[in-house]
Amino acid sequence: MAKEKLLLLKNIREANYKGDLDSYRKTGGFTALEKVLSAMKPEEVVEAVKDSGLRGRGGAGFPTGVKWGFMPKGTGKPAYLVCNADEAEPGTFKDHLLINEDPFLFLEGMIMGCYAIACHHGYIYIRGESIKSAEHLQRAIDSLYKEGLLGKNIFNSGYDLEMTLHRGAGAYICGEETALLESLEGKRGQPRVKPPFPAVSGYNACPTTVNNVETLANLPFIINEGAEAFKALGTPNNSGTHLVSISGHINQPGVYEVEMGVTIRELIDDYAEGVRDGKKLKALIPGGASSNVLTADEIDIPYDFDSLMKAGTMMGSAALMVFDEDTDIVELAYRTIRFFNHESCGQCTPCREGTNWLKHMIRDFMDDNGNGPMLERVDRVAEGMIGTTLCPFGDAAGAPIRIFVAKYAADFRNHFAQ
Amino acid sequence: MTKFDKKTMTEVRALFKRYAVKVHALLPVLHLVQRENGGYIPEGWAHYVAELCQTTVNHVRGVITFYNMFRTEPPGKYHIMVCTSVPCGLCGGDKVLEHLEHRLNLAPGQTSKDGLFSLEEVQCLAACDKAPLIQINAEVHERVTYDQIDALIEEAYRKPA
Repeated sequence: MAKEKLLLLKNIREANYKGDLDSYRKTGGFTALEKVLSAMKPEEVVEAVKDSGLRGRGGAGFPTGVKWGFMPKGTGKPAYLVCNADEAEPGTFKDHLLINEDPFLFLEGMIMGCYAIACHHGYIYIRGESIKSAEHLQRAIDSLYKEGLLGKNIFNSGYDLEMTLHRGAGAYICGEETALLESLEGKRGQPRVKPPFPAVSGYNACPTTVNNVETLANLPFIINEGAEAFKALGTPNNSGTHLVSISGHINQPGVYEVEMGVTIRELIDDYAEGVRDGKKLKALIPGGASSNVLTADEIDIPYDFDSLMKAGTMMGSAALMVFDEDTDIVELAYRTIRFFNHESCGQCTPCREGTNWLKHMIRDFMDDNGNGPMLERVDRVAEGMIGTTLCPFGDAAGAPIRIFVAKYAADFRNHFAQ
Repeated sequence: MTKFDKKTMTEVRALFKRYAVKVHALLPVLHLVQRENGGYIPEGWAHYVAELCQTTVNHVRGVITFYNMFRTEPPGKYHIMVCTSVPCGLCGGDKVLEHLEHRLNLAPGQTSKDGLFSLEEVQCLAACDKAPLIQINAEVHERVTYDQIDALIEEAYRKPA
């Protein structure tokens, strides 16, 4: 296997690392937090993160420091930081690795993030199904309270912070930040109309920032080593390393930490050791079920936010799903749309109805009952979902279907009625 | 009795302190209702929870029906979730589900007459590198084979939880 660039998984890759508070401290854990609380103003933390070029690892790739900068000051209302640990995008499992095996890394980052935006109560939203991970994380939070790293007067700095773990109850849409906030307020997880954005009106109508687990896990490095050291990694405008979840028909599925900009071919061949059973690559989905498929001829592009955008797809949550030559793209499309149909919150008509129509039409192809006009209709219905819904879910469900049809029309034609 | 016991009420009060207003604690409170009632929310509890969280019973019902994990029917003692999403589905998840359906004589969404097993087809469980994947109650079983599944079922029959 090619060598990983280890920032976030440095501890986890140590054979005997336990991931408890003592082990984390022995590796230099919480020195960044101590530095922040004793020697830095909140604005300086925001600036450092802005300078580092860190972009959100939850899917959208928005610059984290800029996002924090949107938090209004002097509103008289409390500010909130909510960590999005809902990780539910098919193909994504990197946040769970951090939570399960080195939770204090992102927790340290989160405490610094809270300090930076003057938040005194942070929430972590974890998906409901992950019962063991939630229990594990709650124990980690409890131990931080016990050691005085949460609660009143952390490191004698006068800074107080409460932290609450909130479990979801099985709804993919709650990974969308405004749906997540609704859910945190004890409601159905249906996305809100924007604007106002969460920075203005988030949790309990107060200024709120939502950050992904991996995003926050980068903070200790940025504070300890400096923004420049972080920016030196990766490609321009795509700083740092990132965690890539690789799954599907691959020899070594798993999470790999690489610098931004390693090519997709390298990820598949040099890191994950190639397509399973010596088969040829047929297709790959680069950024979770919501991203557009790439063909086997499109894998020599750098794996970063901007390069994938240019290639007409997206990096999303860096979930690379690999499919071999025997894969029927119609089946892949069917599974994708069935997922979105199941998880549509039902609020907007194009998404609620569109995912259902697409599911039934593609099911007809699976049953060898397709035809030309129907294939055109699949494309038209998918097109009608793009840009017509409150949240990006409509686009995420519709766009990949259009690209499946455009790039793999032959697979669909194989399922025309005789 | 449609009421939390003293010990659980202490947990509920601690929960309320963690949120700006009581109704925000609705999801964790409903998780507690399920924990105390064998994994589901029996008739009557929606009213009690609405009163407790100072909201309407319609709001509570709306939330219960929105989220997959909140149930109004009792699950089996062993609630088996099978992922058939991308990429589990393309790595054998469907066959695992078929095997379980056949083995337990249950369709997804059903509970066995003896109340021991229930089966659910679920979307991504966030461990796609270990496909195919099933989760039994809180426990995740990775890269499962038919033999492993059969062994788990045999074990469950031997010692009903």
